[in-house]
This record gives sequence, C-alpha cells and structure tokens, in this order.
Amino acid sequence: MAIKRGVSLYSYQQTQFFKQLDWKGQIREVREGLGTDGIEIINQQLIPHYPFPSEEFLYDFRSYMARYDMNAVTMDVYLDVHQFRDHVMTHGEAAEHLKNDIRLAAKMGFKNVRTLVLVPIDVIEACIPTAEKYDVRIGKEIHAPWPIKPGHFVQPKKGMAAGINFRAVDEMIELRERTGSKYVGLVPDFGIFQYRPSEVAIAYVKRHAKNPDAVDWILENAPSYGHDDLIDAVDEKFPGHGIPINQIDRMALHKPCCAAEDILDVLPYIVSIHGKFYNMTEIPGKPGCYEDKCIDYETPMKYLRENGFDGYINSEFEGQRDQQDLGEDFLVDEVEQVRRHHEMLKRLSGEV
Amino acid sequence: MFDQFLIRKDSLKNDYADGKAVGFRFAVRIADYRGCFLSLHNGYYISVDGEEYPREKQTFEINGKAPRTYEELKWCAWEHWDYDDEGIVHVKKEGGLAPGMHRVGLQQSILAQYGYMPWDEEWVKHPPVPGSGEGAGKTETICYFDLMLQEDACCCGAAAEKGGEA
Repeated sequence: MAIKRGVSLYSYQQTQFFKQLDWKGQIREVREGLGTDGIEIINQQLIPHYPFPSEEFLYDFRSYMARYDMNAVTMDVYLDVHQFRDHVMTHGEAAEHLKNDIRLAAKMGFKNVRTLVLVPIDVIEACIPTAEKYDVRIGKEIHAPWPIKPGHFVQPKKGMAAGINFRAVDEMIELRERTGSKYVGLVPDFGIFQYRPSEVAIAYVKRHAKNPDAVDWILENAPSYGHDDLIDAVDEKFPGHGIPINQIDRMALHKPCCAAEDILDVLPYIVSIHGKFYNMTEIPGKPGCYEDKCIDYETPMKYLRENGFDGYINSEFEGQRDQQDLGEDFLVDEVEQVRRHHEMLKRLSGEV
Repeated sequence: MFDQFLIRKDSLKNDYADGKAVGFRFAVRIADYRGCFLSLHNGYYISVDGEEYPREKQTFEINGKAPRTYEELKWCAWEHWDYDDEGIVHVKKEGGLAPGMHRVGLQQSILAQYGYMPWDEEWVKHPPVPGSGEGAGKTETICYFDLMLQEDACCCGAAAEKGGEA
C-alpha cells in the first residue's frame, strides 16, 4: 500500500479554456504523460449542460475512463446560494443541491464528492442517507486559512475570510462520530501548508496595485497585524492603493494555517487530498527535481507515508491565473507544471 | 482570471436592425474556472472610449437563444453557461460604433460563491453594480481591450442580422 497519485482536472482549466485539450485529452495526459490513474473533476468545468448532462455524455465519460483504466476518485461540487435570485438558498435547498451532485457523481462512477468548507454541517447531515445509498463519500475540504486545530484564531470580519467557521473540521469529525457513517470525511488541501505567497501571486498583485510599495509593506508587516487590522493599516498608509481585500489576504499569508503534524489528526477521515501548487521550479543542484517554494510538501508527505496513507493526492495547479494578464506569450504550460508536480509526488511518496 | 482573454479579439461588431446600426456586440468567456447558472449572471461594467454603458443597455446571448436582459436571466436558475462556451454581449447604442479601434473596459459580474457569506441578504435586495469589484468573481479588476471594429459582411439591406451569431 502506498500513496496514490492523481490529478484534479482543475489543473488544466486554461488548457481547456483555449481548447488545447478537452476532457478526453486531459484524461489521456494523466494516463500517458503521468503514468497514473486518479481523476478528480470540477463538475461545472467538465460536465456539459450541468446539472442535466445527457445519457450519451454519462456513458461516454464512463466508457472513456474504462478505456484508459482510470479511477474516478472525487468530483468537486459547489454551493451558489444565489441560484434563486429572489431569496438566499435555504439549507433544505442546499441539501437538495448536494444530493443531486451525489447522484450525478455516482452516475459518472465517482467514489467521493468534495464539498466546500462553507457548506453548513446540517446540510451535510441531511445528505448522509443519499451518500450511503449511492456509495459516494462526502469529503469537506480543509482549505486555507481554515485550520485543522482552531486554537486561538480570531474571527475576521472583512472579505472572504469573514465566512470562516474555524470549527468546520471538528464539526465534520463530530458528525462522523455521532452518526458512525463512513460517508462523512475530509479533503485536506496542501494549501494549508503554504507558508508564504507564491512569487507568481506577488508579481500579479504588484502589477495591478496602484502603488506596488503597498505590497512590499504587506509582505514585511503582515506578521505584526491581525487580519482586519492589517486591512485598515494598508488603507491608512496607502490611500487609494487599489488592492482588493482578497489580494491583501493572499499577500498577508506568512505562516501555514496548519502544522504539518496536524494532518495526523484527520488521517482516518481523509477521502482524498488536494495537491495545491502554484509554481514548480527546479531545485537548485538537483536537475529534474522540482519543488513549490511556498508550500511544504516534504514534511506532511513524510507523515502520510510513515502512517500508511494509501489514498490519492490529486494535483491542483492554481498558478495559471496569476499569469494570464500578460498576454499569450506569457501563459504558463499547465501540462508541464503538473508533470513536474508528479515528479515531486513520486519522489516524496517513495514511489521512486 | 483570463484577464486578456475575456473578450475575443476579432468579435467587436455593430448590431443592425432594419439596415441601421443600433448598437454593438462582442464575444466573452466566463472569468472563472467553472461555468455558472445563468441566474447568477449579473451583467458587465462596460466602457468604450471612456463612455460607460450600464447593465440596462446590455443583453446577453447564450445557448442558441435570442439575447436576454439581466432581469430575464435572473430567473434562469436551471440553465447553465457552460465553461467551454462563448456568450455574446449586446449593447444598445444608436448608430453603433464608428469604424476603427476602440478601447473597451470590461468587468464581468457573476454572483458565484463558495457557500454562505455575511452579505447574502444584501445581494438579494441590492445586487452589486458591475464595476465595483464586488460580485466580480475571479477577476476583480477592470480589464481593457484595444479592439478593431469588424466589418460585418451582411450589415446592409434587409438580410441584416438581428443580433445573432453570423
């Protein structure tokens, strides 16, 4: 038993956008380019006419996966609470939405759905019978800046971070223990081990800030401020800086929201893992070996390896969006980035 | 996301009715890595050569259907704008655009979210006005495009397009 490698086709979003590889080409790349079988998808990226795909598409998908002997690991599903524009979706409606995604995942052969961290716990609970009936596990994502251990985190009130429920992981574990259902689990994202902003993200935000000095100031001073205080301080020191809150948040990241060993606390509940990364570069002095200089893979993977984790880590490349404002000549090669990521995964999982 | 690629470069054309230019149009892609329910599409911030064209002057054409207003799209909760597909934005402007280059500013507003947020009720009552960055999804800046107005082969005479794909 060993750690398995897969790819979230999220990684090929730009390649798909420019119609260089469709979903079939992407699956073929995972088999032939990476020599592995794990497939994760974004429902609304891959499925035509979501949430009502044709029978022909469903058959075609399963057939194509079979042809290349692939494993449909996880389908990533969403919660757009403004779908019905005259009211905020109720939790009951949100549960119906998730149940439909579970049925769709089953029809495509997926073993798991990944729900977002902001999906309320009662919505998950309402879907357990459906998950059991269709044999599809529900894995809630553990996504930065959500911690595995809440500790003394202060609840932010500004930006996306205002939606944070620091007890999200505990709630899922409690639900699993209380119901005894193995269909309740977690999908940790390696972004929880990110310890600084990626160089590609810093470059993007600097290009778009009215005053790039504000970015340098954030990078230097973020450790001394709380979340909301930092936003106020930037506004005060650099009036009209033009940096959206979400981008300030990205620049303010200066320590991982989880310690590497925290992964052991959730090991029994892991459905699959997101191998988030932004920019794989060659390790100096090690030709052909790659790393992402802002995320610790080595330590958490050591813990996973030593403790017998035998599920999938699915590559999730997210560096493309920070390089799409420069024009065609500067677009990053997603296929190459994922190949480099798999060099690292193979090496750190002991496969080679 | 897709900052430089949200508008197809060769897609800026005038719209004609009864042989007269009544506006202009261009082809767009979604500024996200996933498609969306059409009901979430909340219009665009659009400026051309410095002049703004609010949502009320815009219609959106997708899925082989005639252009629809954002009030109409609001109720299309079960229809999807697929990630792979191009939509056409139509903008009313008497006489259309003059021949030549135009500088188009664009910000797309799609009320896509990752679950419940503190501003949800407010967005039901008062959806964000495109251009503020609020509700702008994955591309919060206004992107600028220098586009050449394309000649439409069938712009003259009774065979004028009614705003559909050529």
